[in-house]
Amino acid sequence: MRLGFQQLDELLRGRKTAPPQLADGKVDLPLRMFVPLAIGLGAVYGFFMGWYAISGRSQPGYEQLIASTVKLPALFLLTLLVTFPSLYVFNALVGCRLSFTAMLRLLVGAITVDLAVAASLGPILGFFTLSTQSYAFMVILNVALLAVAGVVGLGFLLQTLRRLTAWVYWRPPVAEPADAAQPPMPSEPGPLEVVPGDYPRETLGAARSIFRIWVLIYALVGAQMGWLLRPFIGSPDMPFTWFRAREGNFFLALATQLKNLAEGR
Amino acid sequence: MVLRPLLVHADGLLRGSGAFHPARAAELPAWTFPLITLAFAPLYGALMGSFHFDSAERIRQVAYSGIKMPLLLFASTLVCLPGFFVLNTVLGLREDFRQSVKAILAGQAGLGVIVASLGPLTRFFYFCTSDYRAALLFNLAALAVSTVAGQFVMLRYYRVLIRRNRRHRLMLLAWLGLYAFVGIQMAWMLRPFVGDPTMRVSFFRAEPFSNAYVVVFRLIFRR
Repeated sequence: MRLGFQQLDELLRGRKTAPPQLADGKVDLPLRMFVPLAIGLGAVYGFFMGWYAISGRSQPGYEQLIASTVKLPALFLLTLLVTFPSLYVFNALVGCRLSFTAMLRLLVGAITVDLAVAASLGPILGFFTLSTQSYAFMVILNVALLAVAGVVGLGFLLQTLRRLTAWVYWRPPVAEPADAAQPPMPSEPGPLEVVPGDYPRETLGAARSIFRIWVLIYALVGAQMGWLLRPFIGSPDMPFTWFRAREGNFFLALATQLKNLAEGR
Repeated sequence: MVLRPLLVHADGLLRGSGAFHPARAAELPAWTFPLITLAFAPLYGALMGSFHFDSAERIRQVAYSGIKMPLLLFASTLVCLPGFFVLNTVLGLREDFRQSVKAILAGQAGLGVIVASLGPLTRFFYFCTSDYRAALLFNLAALAVSTVAGQFVMLRYYRVLIRRNRRHRLMLLAWLGLYAFVGIQMAWMLRPFVGDPTMRVSFFRAEPFSNAYVVVFRLIFRR
């Protein structure tokens, strides 16, 4: 447990993905450690998410609470399971030359960062759950909080990918004589920082294209996976079910909603 | 005995001088700031709660508001802190986190002192009117003014951090956004502060908790 938190802390501080750590294209994020961490952190956020079903209800929906706690980490990891083969193929095709393990570790690491940020925003969600009956407000708040977490997770993925593809070109910073006017650089770069270095354009281009392809595939499948695993929050007007009837898909629903909005409904 | 050092501390905080000079903030123990908040914010709370002070029962409103004022500030901080901590960590600002929290607490202490100084004004305003809505609006204005002024105290400490790493600017904005978002709802939940003359004195409103943003939304769209 304690070791887990230590590892998580090092990941969040960016020590796990500092350029020297990524030498030889290796990623030091053991799956044995980080998959359980991702599940745990996802469960924390899922718990706060499902709390809405018991707060202020005449019949508290404990099942929904349990369902959300399980479903939230499942959403992220199942999506990874489904998309991993295609993500790997594209990675090999574009020429990022990440090994199978390194890639899996990198993606699990990004999910862990994402879920860690989400879990840390959980208290805010819980606080609003205490006082809110409006289902629409809870949906929007959840989307907003998960979006913040998602942006951080993607930033982590992009920067780590850049560092991984270009680790050969990274030079340790030369100790310059202290300049009074220039503030001293922080000793270790954060996980989201662009590490300075003399990188050739092609490698960065490759990193960027593989990042775009990954995000596109993962987001499309993730959106649909989220749709399949509904309900997450639990609408107060509907009785509890583990899964809703398998109707339509995320994109169809989005189009319908947009149409409704355009027609002024 | 306690009063004099307390006032000296508050004076130092407002001026940003002596032990409270931003450059020397690292040496200052962090609990100094919450202590100042705890000493001054209830003063305003008590005066705020003295609106319809016509019976002995109303003294409870004075006490409740006195308690709720620092509670509002601290509870909002507590709710926002985990998220702020992790966001700081992923931006690589963990080394400065203690100082960021100190700056935030300093801002709150500044708010407490400033709002306490406006307390007599509020009480004077109560003498001049018995209109509940006017009293609410006056309190809102007083709190808004002191919140803005408190940010200047916070900024004084944050500027040192921003000079060290520009990413602190982003985190400062993130904090202000989070804190305002949570603080407004917290204030709504901790009602009543002024005490409606037509209602009985209570710590919380008898109705179940509601969401301030949803209420505002409904007011605008009249639903």
